[in-house]
Amino acid sequence: MNKYLSIFKTSFSQEFAYKLNFVMWRLRNVLQIFVLFFFWSTIFSDPSRMVFGYDRGKILTYVFGVMIVKAVVFSARTVDIAGDIAKGDLANYLLKPISYFKYWLTRDLSSKALNLIFAVGETLILFFILKPPFYLQTNPWLILAFILSLVLAILIFFYFLLLCNMVAFWAPEMGWAVQFLLVIIIGEFLSGSFIPLDIFPLGVQKVFYALPFPYLIFFPLQVYLGKISLAFTLSGLLISIAWVLILGFFANFIWRRGLRRFAAEGR
Amino acid sequence: MKELKRYFKYWLLMSRNAFISTVTQRYGMLFFFFGKIIRFFIFVVAILFVLKGTKTIAGYDTNQIIFFFLTFNLIDVVSQFLFREVYRFRPLVVSGGFDLTLVKPINALFRSLMGGADILDMLTIPPLIIAIIIIGQNFNPSFVSSLYYFFLLLNGLLISTAFHIAVLGLGIITMEIDHTVMIYRDLMSLGRFPIDIYKQPLQGIITYLIPVGIMITIPAKAYMGLLSWPVFVGSLMFGIGFFLVALRFWSFALKKYSSASS
Repeated sequence: MNKYLSIFKTSFSQEFAYKLNFVMWRLRNVLQIFVLFFFWSTIFSDPSRMVFGYDRGKILTYVFGVMIVKAVVFSARTVDIAGDIAKGDLANYLLKPISYFKYWLTRDLSSKALNLIFAVGETLILFFILKPPFYLQTNPWLILAFILSLVLAILIFFYFLLLCNMVAFWAPEMGWAVQFLLVIIIGEFLSGSFIPLDIFPLGVQKVFYALPFPYLIFFPLQVYLGKISLAFTLSGLLISIAWVLILGFFANFIWRRGLRRFAAEGR
Repeated sequence: MKELKRYFKYWLLMSRNAFISTVTQRYGMLFFFFGKIIRFFIFVVAILFVLKGTKTIAGYDTNQIIFFFLTFNLIDVVSQFLFREVYRFRPLVVSGGFDLTLVKPINALFRSLMGGADILDMLTIPPLIIAIIIIGQNFNPSFVSSLYYFFLLLNGLLISTAFHIAVLGLGIITMEIDHTVMIYRDLMSLGRFPIDIYKQPLQGIITYLIPVGIMITIPAKAYMGLLSWPVFVGSLMFGIGFFLVALRFWSFALKKYSSASS
């Protein structure tokens, strides 16, 4: 446990080594929130307007929620694994007395902790500047379910990112291309980062819900906003657990197959 | 004219090399290409679904909102097609490899700005233009409106060029490119929708300070016949001024280049 705590601390410090980079990265997140905020704010300029089951307070809470939940779920260092495999640097880790998965999960958690601190600060600043109406959830059970859904979202994203990166075992130059398509393009949209998924027809939503992506951003925020029934909340949590188990199984399976193929080229 | 021809030949040669380099990773190229196409359609579908529920956004109907989005995409894609080399500038400055660009008998700014066109972006330009023509027909534009649109698009590209030159200049001074150019693109993305949706002072900032409005919203409005000629002239003057300031900044930054690590 101590060694992972040390990895957490070292990784946390490493993020500060490139301060300007980090500040710029956070600035980008704020700009993206600006687009979403003003887009929805214009649509809901009439405070009494209800569209897609959202009022002004709930949709703007969703926008700010995306900023916080994205910082927790989507910030990860695991994106570097493909590079390690392609350059042969993975060999260094295999010689160390650590679990490779736990090592990257720890680094992810450190990145998430730092991003969360900044995201909360940014949200507070934007909150005072933009003064949006905010929906505060007071039901302790829903808050608990929200936290649980976040933990599951972190694990789903971790295993999904691992799987995308492990493509590099078979195609070393493809790691970034696969992440671009599956994580940045498809994953961000189907997670509800840009628009809430319940604006789509029910049939389309059912297809979305069969995939792991809505459980990354959209589902936790729906739980927080109290927009879904208790039964749907529970089934959503169970589906999230199922995705963690399925993706975890495949990540371990592909990892073992990939290691058999790994030749540490480049070292 | 002779000089222009010479540089066009250089550009063709460098673009061909960049293309050959891209196709060496053909599967990766396909993923990026389909990623870009899917992203475009995802946004269109999302906008259509939102407008199905709201009917209008800031007083603009579906066709108008889609037209703003297409205009944003056209300027964004053409800029990326022409200026992809900017994304590869940082390692040259950090390693001192930029020395090799400086000693060559070719303009260093031209080489750094346009030294590697992106074939993937080029492929998406013709369908975008066709989509703009098809959606644009709904506004029954006059000849003057079409002319305004054409010149304001060129003006938007001039401002985009100025931004990329400024990013290169900043790269020399701060050795930071990656996030600066992405911040420029994030700012550009504010133009996905008409800038009328943003409140003051943000609307003022993205009209005059970071002229996203002049680059995207104003050309689209001109095509819809919603623009007066003084705004047209003012926009062109602003674009030219912005470009000249960027060139001055590049000259200033170049003097700060320390040739470190070379």
